[in-house]
Amino acid sequence: MEFGSIEREIRIEASPEVVFDVVSSPAHLKEWWSDEAEFGSDGEGRIGFRQGDADIDWQRVTVVDAMPPRHFSFRWTHAEGEAAARGNSYLVVFELEPAGTGTLLKMTETGFRERGWAEAKVAAEHADHVSGWDYFLPRLVPYAEKVGAGR
Amino acid sequence: MSTAVDDDLWSAIGDPTRRRMLDLLLSAGTGTATSLSEHLPVTRQAVAKHLAVLDRVGLVHAATAGREKHFRVDETQLARAVAQLEEVGSSWDSRLQRIKRLAETIEKQKQETPNDQ
Repeated sequence: MEFGSIEREIRIEASPEVVFDVVSSPAHLKEWWSDEAEFGSDGEGRIGFRQGDADIDWQRVTVVDAMPPRHFSFRWTHAEGEAAARGNSYLVVFELEPAGTGTLLKMTETGFRERGWAEAKVAAEHADHVSGWDYFLPRLVPYAEKVGAGR
Repeated sequence: MSTAVDDDLWSAIGDPTRRRMLDLLLSAGTGTATSLSEHLPVTRQAVAKHLAVLDRVGLVHAATAGREKHFRVDETQLARAVAQLEEVGSSWDSRLQRIKRLAETIEKQKQETPNDQ
């Protein structure tokens, strides 16, 4: 494995068209990732994570490529006023392959070698960030199970 | 510690030879440029350069004993890098499970109500 990249794949019993819609549309993205999601027609947008009662931590998103239903990629976390590029953001790539009656979804996230250590230090040293993940991760599981049970 | 040094950490770990050196140091506890080069297909001089890179980002620390510097892994620093990657990885596992459930729910609804399409 290349240190500094995350690679995953998962088989989904749904057509590539449906999976593409789930990974790329802001309405669905809010259900599997952030609390808020807004994309413009120019591919620029932002996703928001609630921090307590009123605060929202907004992160910029720039769509790199959208080729339905096979490929969707975006960069995120670049600073306001900067164009998304290698070195200032993370790159997330979804590749969708038809697999029988379903889809093989492959995800890679890269960019950690270019800029990740500052983030790693934040994660290790700042209790609020760590407790943010402690809050976020357990919250995912009951929601996912609820969606699954409602089928 | 400056930000520039911090940003170098990932490229330090990104090199396969340096990762192998970290493995060797972790299993042996300590090592010198000479002892490491005996287990690697590179020269002692190349190993010394790699050690300097690792030293600069705080992944190894040197102690001078006798004629050579003896290097040891800073396990706290290494653990930080590894923990960050594991954290990102496990959060993606959760996200992908949600993507799977959402897509399969939608697919199922489509099949149950084909006239709506």
